[in-house]
Amino acid sequence: MKSVETVTLVVLAFAAVLVVARVVRRSSLGDRAVALDTLSAVITCALLVGASRADDGLMLDLAVVLGLMGFLTSVTVARFIESRKDDQ
Amino acid sequence: MSDILGAVVDVLTAVCFVAGALFAFIGALGLHRLADTRSRMHAATKPATLGVALCALGAALQLTSPSDVTKVVVIVVLQLVTSPIGAHMLGRSVGDK
Repeated sequence: MKSVETVTLVVLAFAAVLVVARVVRRSSLGDRAVALDTLSAVITCALLVGASRADDGLMLDLAVVLGLMGFLTSVTVARFIESRKDDQ
Repeated sequence: MSDILGAVVDVLTAVCFVAGALFAFIGALGLHRLADTRSRMHAATKPATLGVALCALGAALQLTSPSDVTKVVVIVVLQLVTSPIGAHMLGRSVGDK
């Protein structure tokens, strides 16, 4: 079981690298916000797998907090883009 | 009997984890390869949500304490509720340039 969880974590790490590449690469603010939203989903997946691997409930608390933070982040960035468009 | 049940649960968990990780990877790949912001959003939100749901199902099968399983349910509901709202707001703000 541990080996399956390790393989899953490696695949999720590759996914996180792809998403971070999209954030770092020269792209628009909206693209980066979408990518960061995806990154929070990938990290939530990894935390769920890690919680099962270590049989540790603490990681689930982290995943709940991460979900709320990711939502607030994307809403805040969306409102910021809107307000910047109104100024122009 | 309980040995067989444990093995079945382990196999189901493994399938859920691998499928969930593959969905998350496909979402990341689409985010990397697709052409414009809206198609990237399509790639980013749906497979990632499905990946979280599958990983949560696998974790819920493995975890033993009821409070942990409740937290897993909270995580999935949170993801299902917040992901469309965030994507909707971002899509509206990115939309007409």
